[in-house]
This record gives sequence, C-alpha cells and structure tokens, in this order.
Amino acid sequence: MNAHDLLWGMTPAHLPADAPAWVLEAIGAGHPVVVRRAIAEPGHVAVGVRGRLREQRFAAQMPLPAVQRRVAPEALRGVISPRDLPALRTLDQLRAVLAQESWGVTGSAGFELATGIEALHAQSDLDLILRTPLRLERGDAQDLLAILDTAECAVDLQLQTPFGAVALREWANGSRRVLLKTVSGAHLVVDPWQAVA
Amino acid sequence: METLSFEFPAGQPPKGRALVGCVGSGDLEVLLEPGTAGVLTIQVQTSVNGAEQRWQHLFERIFQEQTPPALNIDIHDFGATPGVVRLRLEQGFEEIGHD
Repeated sequence: MNAHDLLWGMTPAHLPADAPAWVLEAIGAGHPVVVRRAIAEPGHVAVGVRGRLREQRFAAQMPLPAVQRRVAPEALRGVISPRDLPALRTLDQLRAVLAQESWGVTGSAGFELATGIEALHAQSDLDLILRTPLRLERGDAQDLLAILDTAECAVDLQLQTPFGAVALREWANGSRRVLLKTVSGAHLVVDPWQAVA
Repeated sequence: METLSFEFPAGQPPKGRALVGCVGSGDLEVLLEPGTAGVLTIQVQTSVNGAEQRWQHLFERIFQEQTPPALNIDIHDFGATPGVVRLRLEQGFEEIGHD
C-alpha cells in the first residue's frame, strides 16, 4: 500500500469519537479514503478523508483487514471521464507525453476518476505522481516541467523516489535543498534519491 | 482563499532577499524581504480558510526560540502542514543569512 492509493471499506465505526459530521457523512456514503504518507499503528494504515470543501481533510487510521478494495494512481490514468474540465483535458494531452513512464493520477482528479464523485472544478490543478526509482537528472526534470507548463491547467507532479516524494517543479528549479516528503515527515534534502540521514 | 496578516518583534533587517518553497499541494512559497528594524510582518495567502489561530500559534512557537530578523514575509500557502511551514521558514532564514 502506497501514499495516494484509494481504499474502500472504512466504516463510521473506525473513526475516532471526535470526527466531524462531514467525515461521518463521507465515510457513511461509502467514499474511499486516501493513503497518507505517515506511520500508523501496527495493523493500520494512515489515511485521509476528503470532504467537499478544500479545508475538509481529516486524518485517520484504517484497520488493514477492513480494506476491501484498493486502487493505485496508475489504474486511473486510462479512465475517460464524461466531464469536460481543464484538468481532464490536460490529462488527455499528457497521456502521450508520459506514455513511456510509470505514472498515475492523484488528488481531486484521481478521486473523481475512481469514484465518479464530482471533486474537480474549473480551477482545479491536475495532481500527478511519477515513479522515479532511479534519479531523474535536473536537466531532464526541466524538460518535463517545460512540457507540463504548456498545459491548459496547472500540473502538480510529484516525483516518487525510493525515500519519499519531491515536487518536480522544485527539483527542476535548481534550489540546492528540496523538500522530501517521507513517512516520518518532511525533510530538506540535497539528494531526494538518497536515504534521509 | 483568505489573506491573513501578522506582526512580531524582530531584530535588524538583513541585506538580502530570498524566495523558497514551491507552488503545489501541501507546500508553500515564501518570499522574504528586508523590513523595518524591530518589526517582522507576515502576510499569508492561504487556500485553507479558518486557520488564523493555527498560523498565529505556529509563528509564536517558531519565533520564541530565536528573535527573527526584521523582514516582510509573503507566504502563499497550498495547505502545507505545520512541519512544512517550519522547514520552509528555516530554509528562508538560512538563505537570507548567506548573502
């Protein structure tokens, strides 16, 4: 199970007593939860619950035996939506660009493609993840970013290294230290393809 | 979208400016520029509404450890966690110190 995977099977009984009403509503309606990059208790996975509003994000833990279905971001890149929105048109354009890569759709677009629940709007970014087990050189990152920046909507592409995730934009922009998001939190690192000391 | 303003006591203004961070979910962009001696001003533009108290408390904790330089700081937040905000501010202070 990896960060950004969508999981079905959580029930209101798995939520803490202080969970807000909108969380109970989303889980009660059978919406999937999103795997978070965080350490969970044994036998659990750290997840996030999405609400309708942008500030409605709730961190929880899901017992592993409760997982009934898992959809990884990779499984969503071929899904065709009946809706016509900038983020979805951008996804259409980028399929050819990323055809040789191991990549997937996350964020609102991933959630909508996986569930059919309308999570995207006209101003939504397109969130993507690119698996980069091997180092992506900064020059190659700049080339890819230049292509993404010609797209109709803003594209937020995260590079998943063996140790965490780093934004393509930051890696390409040449900052000496970059933000690596790992299961143990965020770290500023010089090389995202090296274990955090 | 919400814009928040904060003010804290500070030391002397630095010479340089710095831009750190990144536009994207869970991150923030921080622009640090020399300000007026004795005052640190922070403007936060955030996509997450209703979090003014959280920002206030986070800044208080960061600046009580060490008196910050006099700066005007502009933050564009895209739902960063407190840990990420802290890292980005530290990175910004470091880059300003290098000039």
